[in-house]
Parts: sequence; C-alpha cells; structure tokens
Amino acid sequence: MNWINMQIRKELWSPYVAGILLGIVGVLAVLLSNTLLGASGAFENVAGMIGKAIAPKAFNNMYFNFIMPPGITWGVILLVGVFFGGLIGAATSGTLKWGKKDAASGDAQWKRIFGPQIWKRWVLGFLGAIILEYAAGIAGGCTSGLAISGGMLLVPAAFLFIAGMFASGILTALVVYRNRY
Amino acid sequence: MNYVIALVLGSFFGFSLNKAGLTKYNKIVNQFRLTDMAVLKFMMTALVVAMIGLYGLRGLGLITFPPVPATYIVGNLVGGLIFGIGMALTGY
Repeated sequence: MNWINMQIRKELWSPYVAGILLGIVGVLAVLLSNTLLGASGAFENVAGMIGKAIAPKAFNNMYFNFIMPPGITWGVILLVGVFFGGLIGAATSGTLKWGKKDAASGDAQWKRIFGPQIWKRWVLGFLGAIILEYAAGIAGGCTSGLAISGGMLLVPAAFLFIAGMFASGILTALVVYRNRY
Repeated sequence: MNYVIALVLGSFFGFSLNKAGLTKYNKIVNQFRLTDMAVLKFMMTALVVAMIGLYGLRGLGLITFPPVPATYIVGNLVGGLIFGIGMALTGY
C-alpha cells in the first residue's frame, strides 16, 4: 500500500508504465462503450453546437451535419474527464498551482528559445492550436483519435498519419531551434 | 451510464498523459528534436497493449470492432504533415 502511494505521488512515471495504463483505457473504451478514444473530434462537436446557435446558415453544411454532428457526445465527456485526470495527476505529484500562472517560468526551455514574454506563449499556442485542429479535421483524427486508436486496430491511416506527423514535426523543430539549444 | 464510463476513462487518460509528462511543452518538442523519446515510448506501449487486448478479446468473441477511422491516403498524410507543424509549435 505504501509502495502504491509512493508511485502515485511520483511526478514522472516511466513512459512505458503510463503507456500501459493508456492501452488498458483504450481496450476498456471498446469493451464498455464500443467507442474509440479521441480528443480533437470533441472540439469540433462543441464548435458545431456553438456555430449552429450563432450562425446556423454558415454551419449548415455536410461536414457539420454528417461527419461531425454537433452535440454533447461521448468524446466531449471524455475530454472533461481528461481535464480532471490531468488535474488529479498534477495534484498527486504536488505540482498543481492555483491562480495566475507564469507561463514561462515553468518552461525554462521555452524561455531560452522565445524569450520571457508571456504573450508570445499565448499567441503561438493559439496559432499552433488552429493548425492542429485544422489538420486533425483533414486527417480524420489527432494523436489520440487517429494515431493511437487507429493504430491499435492496425488501420493504415494511423501509420500514414504518424509518418507525416513526425516528418513535419522534426522539420519544424529544426527550423524553430536551429543551433540555439 | 455511457457518460459515466466516458468520464472515468477520460480521467485515467488524462492521468496517464500527465504522469508521462506529455502535458509539458518540452517533452513534446524534445521528441521532435530527437533528444527525448518519451512520446514515442508512451504511444507505442499504449498501441501494443491495446492491440493485444483488442485482438485477444475479439478472438474470444467478446467484442466487435467499432467503425475504424477511414483511410484516404492523401488526406491522412497531408493532415499528418500539417499536424506535425502545429504540434512542434505548441507542444500539445
């Protein structure tokens, strides 16, 4: 019992152990709900819901009517769970902080590359997230929804996606970091 | 009931991501700089465990696979290429 307690309080697990946990979650999702895990789809469901309320004409297209129907789906609830899970994870390792967070202070590496300004972090995060979600829409899923969920069913799409993701990710990191770090 | 399952599974999902350190910018970016392989270790372990579980359970006739993500080569590849740019920029 003491040992378990100690493990839960550790801030960083071996990625293998955490991966085993996620694998079990992936199996349980299919076993209990007959659904695959995914994160990016939920944002589109919520966006569709908001869009249909504000500008029903603009959102009355095939994508939002059939491919990504708006509404509180299983994935949206899953995402709420992810939020709380992350919260619990941070709380158990004692790194949870309330109040205004100095976005740069927790990220020495970020600071060294982009400077100490917080607004840069926000702008880059916002723009990058738009790129992410747009790409997830094209590919039909994100890291969790396509790469992991698809990969565990041996879907070819997942491996194409992973190949593309790493090819451009490595290139982008090369461009951003050059010789600076 | 389905929503309760989603909430519980989601929290384990978030918990595992947090404990693997994948909620941090530098973990994700260092994967693409090839100086920290945590993302790949995490993803591939999850894949292998889930593959064994899912194909085993299907072999026993306990589950049928849900509709799988569609494969359309250009879309998946181009999506992945754009996704990598965003991922390396934000560290998501």
